Amino acid sequence: MLVNYPEAAHWQVDTTRLDLVEEFRRKPRGPHGDELQKLLHRMRWAGDFETGGRYVLVVKTPGREWLLARLPRQRGAPVKVMHNRVFTSLADAEWEVFKLRWEALGGASIPEHLREPLV
Amino acid sequence: MTDTTAVLGYAWPLIVSAGETIAFHLSSATLDSAEVTLVRVRCGDPDPNGPGLRLREMEASINGHAALAHQVIRPGSCAIVPDGPALSDFQSFTAGAFVWPTLPGDDRAQTVLSRWRDDLQCGWRLGLDSRGHAEFVLSAAGETWRVATLQPLLSREWVLLGASWNARSGAISIMVKSLDPQSGRERSAVVEGHGPTSMPWPRETPLVMAAHAKDEAYYAAFFDGKIDRPRLYAEALTRDALHRLCEAHTVAPGDPHLIGAWNFALDIPTESVTDMSANRLHGTLRQMPARAMTGANWDGSSDRWTDRPTHYGAIHFHSDDMADAEWKPSLEFTIPADWRSGFYALRLRARTESADPVESFVAFFVRADLGKPKSRLAFVASTATFLAYANSALRLDQVHAEAMLEGLLTLSQDDLYIQEHRELGLSTYDTHADGSGWCISTAKRPILNTRPRGAVFNYGNDTHLIDWLEQTGQDYDIITDDDIHRHGLPVLRPYGCVITGSHPEYISREIWDAFDAYQQGGGRHMYLGGNGFYWRIAYHRTQPHTIEMRRGMSGLRTWEGEAGETTLAFTGEPSSTWRSNGRPPQRLLGVGFDAQVFTHSSPYRWLDGAKAPSLGWLTDGIDLDKPLGDFGLRGNGAAGVEVDRVEFTLGSPPGTIWLATADNLGYGGTPTPEEVRTLHRGIMGDQNAQVRADITFFPTANGGGVFSTGSIAWVCALSHTNYQNNVSQLTGNVLKRFLDKEPL
Repeated sequence: MLVNYPEAAHWQVDTTRLDLVEEFRRKPRGPHGDELQKLLHRMRWAGDFETGGRYVLVVKTPGREWLLARLPRQRGAPVKVMHNRVFTSLADAEWEVFKLRWEALGGASIPEHLREPLV
Repeated sequence: MTDTTAVLGYAWPLIVSAGETIAFHLSSATLDSAEVTLVRVRCGDPDPNGPGLRLREMEASINGHAALAHQVIRPGSCAIVPDGPALSDFQSFTAGAFVWPTLPGDDRAQTVLSRWRDDLQCGWRLGLDSRGHAEFVLSAAGETWRVATLQPLLSREWVLLGASWNARSGAISIMVKSLDPQSGRERSAVVEGHGPTSMPWPRETPLVMAAHAKDEAYYAAFFDGKIDRPRLYAEALTRDALHRLCEAHTVAPGDPHLIGAWNFALDIPTESVTDMSANRLHGTLRQMPARAMTGANWDGSSDRWTDRPTHYGAIHFHSDDMADAEWKPSLEFTIPADWRSGFYALRLRARTESADPVESFVAFFVRADLGKPKSRLAFVASTATFLAYANSALRLDQVHAEAMLEGLLTLSQDDLYIQEHRELGLSTYDTHADGSGWCISTAKRPILNTRPRGAVFNYGNDTHLIDWLEQTGQDYDIITDDDIHRHGLPVLRPYGCVITGSHPEYISREIWDAFDAYQQGGGRHMYLGGNGFYWRIAYHRTQPHTIEMRRGMSGLRTWEGEAGETTLAFTGEPSSTWRSNGRPPQRLLGVGFDAQVFTHSSPYRWLDGAKAPSLGWLTDGIDLDKPLGDFGLRGNGAAGVEVDRVEFTLGSPPGTIWLATADNLGYGGTPTPEEVRTLHRGIMGDQNAQVRADITFFPTANGGGVFSTGSIAWVCALSHTNYQNNVSQLTGNVLKRFLDKEPL
């Protein structure tokens, strides 16, 4: 029997912790400190089912380009691919989805100087 | 974006010898034709950061345009008893069985027992209606009689389910008896209604269990759940009388009213269902449902169907079981006698000038002829593992996948297709629509993740080793798990050295025994993977390329089998991990699975064991003060993904030379459950040195030896900096020595 409990992800997010946002922005692929690990685990385990399906990437060109997409929880339902949301690095994609999830969790508005990826 | 699914297919057989004929079964819902080319696979991973796709076009008579047709897959398992006089030679009757529904009330009718034709709307059927209520329907000549219970059945609770028709009184009844009626589980009921006083039975209609006939050719209303001891009796019985009839393991064949009494505990390894009545109404199973399942009477006194077969009289049917796509062959080709053994594929192209060109592949393997090696080296195609993972939907269905993989899921076109096309049949990592585990995998269906451009895990990763062999000019034969299973040691023995690839995870007893005998007989084995020789499986005794596995109570598993259902139906052997079967991989390989790590991969550091002067052949040209494998296509390191370690208490040989270790895998290093007996914090790789990958060498009897790297990421580091790196150097050093006939 398969048992999935995404709603069990209950680590309490402190929505004022912009320092965690900054840490993720600097290193989207890790390694991360303990608290950022917990925040990411909350996001990744719970998925985004309440807002229209888990954020995923669809490979457009192997190793080069990825599209943002939503994976519905229901088996058989098509993945919704956003063909105009193209990423050329996985780090950029992680940062973009992090921002979407942070906002969905009610996180404090990300200041302008933190919104763009680090070059 | 390349379209990899507009045309799909499978090769049968999956594995051929040169000189044999292979058939390609193809289908497309959108294309009339495709350009086909047979290719030999050197690298199937399109990632431009590595070697990229490397395919050699072969000269073949079937190259050119091929016409395509759309062929449908019809999943759903059931038992079919061909029509015969005994199925029509009565009027009043009772039908019943113990049932354990797993998807009651999922908005579709589910038939348990029937002799019914949808197209004719004629016959009788007993099952569940779309709301999960038990129902009995009789229909003929435009008239329908139906009776149903007021309450729906519960999921995963045993009931006696029965129906009777008394032709003398015209009464019909539906009967349910809950076997555990307390604490809110009570669903027992007998509901009577008006029925006919005579019935013209439909002609040429089989008796079907777990479905009913849609028309002459197809079936519908597949039942999800277990059925145990189905009975058919030519009298209207009371519920108690039906209960006694179903409970009896031996029936009275002399009873003239007994139409059929099926014993699913007989012939468990086969697709036959056996009738114990004098009518001999034996049937066959379609699409391989799970057998050797605990019945309504299972009491935990044994977990082996071979010990207590009468407790294993259930079959678990699934509406999505799929073992045979039943596609007609589209192309046939006889492999020329001079073709080398290898990984091959049929490439299908269409719309080549468009923005979404079609490039799809159908993989197959050409084996080296048994006993006729053309090289001193053999590389094993891990076909059992490829089957175990065939069409895995793990990342789609299991919500822990993104957390486990420590990053956004990256889906391919193949993944998007599987999400919508579950009729392909999934992998042994997946669960059926009813949540139960997928135990059986076959190759008579398109397999999207065993082909060039497919998901790199397993097949794609293994082609990196082939690429390296080609790059270094090393000749080799290809042999396969299926053939080692079938023919045993003689497949391995001709070779001075045998390499197993990135992930030889699924191993039958026959395969294990062959490697053990090969190694003890002086053979040299290079195990260049991780999580190898881990799960115990069985091959079907007569159906080629068909494996079965049961996920038991240990091991890193995506589902857990029901209690009492960990014994393989194909052979009666226990399944689960080899470690829980008394054969930890450490005993055969020196290392065994301990952890997975997806955050990043790591380099190894050399240990003192590697510095022995007698191992100069192994470390030649390598700086032992530098990290080994701080690069690679899987997480930027050679030690990662799934990793193995030395453990002397689990059988790492006393003669093991522990050459190198990667024991700082970080917080992403996650131990496998069987490594953790009690719980405490701090068990991840940042705090736990048992979470690691080890490289070992040990000599075996008769001059043989075993070299293990204990990491799936290893082979994906070989091509770094144009194949000039210490992972490539070490692999080459060991291979050179292992091919040398001088005893180790």
